[in-house]
Amino acid sequence: MGNYEIALCLGVVAPLFMFAVLAFVGHRIGKPTSGWVAVLGVLISLGCATYVLTGWLSATDKAALMATTGYDWVVLNLFGNEMPIEFKVKLDGLTVMMYFMVTLVSTCIFVFSIGYMAGHSDEVDGQCKFHRFFCYLSLFEFSMLGLLISSSIFFLFVFWELVGLCSYLLIGFYFDKKFASNAAMKAFITNRVGDFGFLLGLMLVFVFLQTFDLDQAAATFRNQYETQSGIFAADIDILGWHVSGMDLATLMGIGLFCGAMGKSAQFPLHVWLPDAMAGPTPVSALIHAATMVAAGVYLVARVFRLLTPDAQFFIAVIGCITLTITALIAIVQIDIKKVLAYSTLSQLGYMIFGMGVGAWPAALFHLITHAFFKAMMFLGSGQVIEGCHHVQDMRKMGGLRKKMPVTCWTFLIGVAAIAGVGIPGAHIGLGGYFSKDEVLAVAYERAYNWEDRFGGHAAEGGHREGDAHSAAPALRSGQVIFASGGEHADSHADAGHGGGHHDDPVLAGIAAKQHKIPKWMFWLPIIIAYVTPFYMMRCWWMTFMGKPRDEEVHHHAHESPLMWAPLIVLAAGTLISSFYMFRPELGEAAAHATQAPLVVSVDGEVPNKAQHELLGLSHDKDKDPHAALIGIVGFAWVAGIGLAILIYRNGLDLAERIRRLPLIRFFHWCLMEKLFFDHIYDTVLVGGTKWVLAQVSRAVDTYIIDGIANLLGRSTVRIAEFSGNIMDTGGVDGLVDAIGESTQGVGEMVRQPQTGKIRNYIMFGTAGAVLVLAAMIAVVLS
Amino acid sequence: MTLRLNQLMVFATPIIIATLVVIAPVQAADTELPQSEQGLTLSDQGIQKSADGGMLEALMFYICAAVVLGSGLAICLSKNIVRMAVYLFGTLASVALMYFLLLANFIGVIQLIVYAGGTLILLIFGVMLTSKSPWAKFDVKRNEMIAAGVICALFAGMLLMVVVNAEWPLETDAVVVGSSMTQFGSALLTDYLVPFEAMSVLLLVVMIGAAYMARQE
Amino acid sequence: MFEIGLTHYLVVATLLFVMGIYVMMTKRNAIGILIGVEMVLNGANINLVAFNRYNGMSGIDGQITSLFVIVLAAAEAALAVAICMNFYKNLNTVDVDHGDTLAG
Repeated sequence: MGNYEIALCLGVVAPLFMFAVLAFVGHRIGKPTSGWVAVLGVLISLGCATYVLTGWLSATDKAALMATTGYDWVVLNLFGNEMPIEFKVKLDGLTVMMYFMVTLVSTCIFVFSIGYMAGHSDEVDGQCKFHRFFCYLSLFEFSMLGLLISSSIFFLFVFWELVGLCSYLLIGFYFDKKFASNAAMKAFITNRVGDFGFLLGLMLVFVFLQTFDLDQAAATFRNQYETQSGIFAADIDILGWHVSGMDLATLMGIGLFCGAMGKSAQFPLHVWLPDAMAGPTPVSALIHAATMVAAGVYLVARVFRLLTPDAQFFIAVIGCITLTITALIAIVQIDIKKVLAYSTLSQLGYMIFGMGVGAWPAALFHLITHAFFKAMMFLGSGQVIEGCHHVQDMRKMGGLRKKMPVTCWTFLIGVAAIAGVGIPGAHIGLGGYFSKDEVLAVAYERAYNWEDRFGGHAAEGGHREGDAHSAAPALRSGQVIFASGGEHADSHADAGHGGGHHDDPVLAGIAAKQHKIPKWMFWLPIIIAYVTPFYMMRCWWMTFMGKPRDEEVHHHAHESPLMWAPLIVLAAGTLISSFYMFRPELGEAAAHATQAPLVVSVDGEVPNKAQHELLGLSHDKDKDPHAALIGIVGFAWVAGIGLAILIYRNGLDLAERIRRLPLIRFFHWCLMEKLFFDHIYDTVLVGGTKWVLAQVSRAVDTYIIDGIANLLGRSTVRIAEFSGNIMDTGGVDGLVDAIGESTQGVGEMVRQPQTGKIRNYIMFGTAGAVLVLAAMIAVVLS
Repeated sequence: MTLRLNQLMVFATPIIIATLVVIAPVQAADTELPQSEQGLTLSDQGIQKSADGGMLEALMFYICAAVVLGSGLAICLSKNIVRMAVYLFGTLASVALMYFLLLANFIGVIQLIVYAGGTLILLIFGVMLTSKSPWAKFDVKRNEMIAAGVICALFAGMLLMVVVNAEWPLETDAVVVGSSMTQFGSALLTDYLVPFEAMSVLLLVVMIGAAYMARQE
Repeated sequence: MFEIGLTHYLVVATLLFVMGIYVMMTKRNAIGILIGVEMVLNGANINLVAFNRYNGMSGIDGQITSLFVIVLAAAEAALAVAICMNFYKNLNTVDVDHGDTLAG
């Protein structure tokens, strides 16, 4: 193990240690100190992350640094060959950058939490909640970092479940409140649905690829594609439904993506994330905005090499639907945290969509910048909520900018970043400007120029087949491929980057199977690019600008330094990451993590150009998607923000009047009801389950229990009649008592099993065993 | 009648056990594993017992069985918790002797040490710490006893039916049985390492848990 | 008759086992139930060792298992006595029939 791997491990273990300390002696440490203990743990992680990151950035030969080291956890003996399940640390560009991002963001949030939780951790049942909060946060930090360094999907899954557990614990942190514990359960159960798919995907990986190691699995997958063996040779009938090898491979990819669907709250499993806002605000910032929900995107990035074109198309569709519906719902929200929650969903949708269409680096770039600015905005909203004494309704806010200047302006930076503020053509802008532009550019290529590029190319390649393959800028198996001109590829080969991959017939073959995406999948994100600035600006304006709408709330508002200092750090992180941070490195990481013949030429001056070439987009001015996009979305932020200011400039009256317009009223109602997803799920799934259970229990009730009761009743009546006759005829009074006693005896016997006495239960258990044994013997004898 | 059997057992049990303890080494010597060049295997002579050895073994077995079942029955019939504990000692000790008969020397020793030495003392301590009077009696309803007896009799009958009628694939002749400490040690540290470690963790947990639960206040 | 085999031991084990169950059913003293549990475990243990002796595949697997059972039984007894003491502390008796607070 090299120094860097050790540093990564140390960074993972430090929060775990702090978790143990807080879990066992946390209640002795006391209120502020236990928070600082957790901060110490995460600071160690941050130190390790910084050490690794600086080493990584300064290294000239990054390939030499990449490593996967560790040991075999268990060696299974399967199918005649040994299959190790490895616990290994993965060191590559993606890990290093994600690791740094997570530790930096969480350090800020941990510090913020000390200030925030001081007023939010009342005693419950005599137990101080304060240390418990930091205990859970430390456990989360450990699990999240563990997830990032795992080289095998198996351990990725283990840590995946651990972060899910932490999310559950923290959403339900105020478990004494009904809505919080309900939200926690909803999140957990929804995630189980996704994880079920993930497990199915894991099983397919396990059975067909026979390894959990990401790199090995990818290599095996590719090899099986080349030789059409393994999963591609599979030919299965499931319930009369024929599944070919390619379909099975697609199913595997979709299964793995299902996990991401749950954790990243993608449609149709997106319903848990808004409810998860029941947790403390720092939790929303850390887990439900910056890190854990992004883990889904990270997972897709990691397993990208196992995705077939069909699976990628599926991912793109899901992402597209999610980003659209959630952005629309965000427009009408009045709870400041709900707005942020829906915007998070929408941005996650963007990332997933980007992954699906093949904009791997752009999606991850968006992930990292989004983590900074969304964490910042959540902390800002936490600051507001704390300052306003737990008021979350934006209609009661307004005019807070004078009371909370730092929060106000850092929040504005966040709004600008998510809105994609930038000056087209000048390469000046904030996070969202670049990442959305890149995702959309790729979508544009896929929707419009795909056939031209690839089709034209194939025709051209007809007479020189080998070159056609080399020119097809195919990525690895089942990955987005961007056809660039042959001369284009050559020029990059000359540049000495990634040239070795070019003569790759396999990639070219898969390229031919790549989908052209339908046009709506390009236009929906475009529309949302207009919607996003609107609702974010609406949120900001309603909260900070205008006149105070509630004197009570406004009067109490205040800021505390422990809470705004992290905001400034995160704002700086947003600005830096927008302009420079990680972009070239992400390109390189993409080249490695996707094993693509990506051409990376990083001149550092024009980030867009680097991205441009990375994706193999044409240099041809006429066909440059960015040029086309400038016209379409370049000024979307101006329109969105302008409209928001226009409407909310003078308070809420104008908005209220617009809301009353006939058609808009209907839409508003639909959106307020979150497009009825909760209702549908409640009726169909919960109601359906309840209905089935009700039917079953009713059947048991009517046929079994009532039957027994009736039988007893009737037999008692018969006995009574019979003995009544005897008594009448014979006049034996004593029998009356006997009847009463026998009835009572029957009742007593029926009541017996519910004694609550352990000895009787043992007796019944043994009697049951006797019956089973008797049945078995009877079967054997007969 | 119950009382008589109880009293009989109180006196008989120590005597029988003492007898057995004297005889057991003889039996053990008889079936001693020849530590020959074959290592720890039991040679053919060891398995094919002489008539005397067979007789002696049978005698030993029946005495053991009598003590086991006799004191078991006494436990069933006794109403006094201290007496039950004493009879339990009879059962446990003679089960240990049975282990010797089964050539499981190590297990027999462990049985004596852990059960008879540890668990039983623990039980008696439990009795002393929890009863207001060691002679306190809790009577059980007669019909409950009858129901329990019927169920148990049925259960025993069926189990015995299975046990007696089943054809166990005996491999006695091919068996190489031994139970030296060396074998145990190496087995525990190789094939059974994980359960062994798990067991040690379990003991730790139990220690903490028991101390926690039994603490004052 | 004088050739002692597997079945002999199994019979003894079975009877001991059933007696243990009987003790569990009919003793109201918590410690008495514990004694019953010990008898049951002993009965099972005799089975393990006997099978190891007469049916073992040249190993000591059965004996190792019985060793684990003994350890578990000891642990269980320690915990059970602690539980009994808690029971006694709360209800001021060790009569398990009084532990029916949850019977409703």
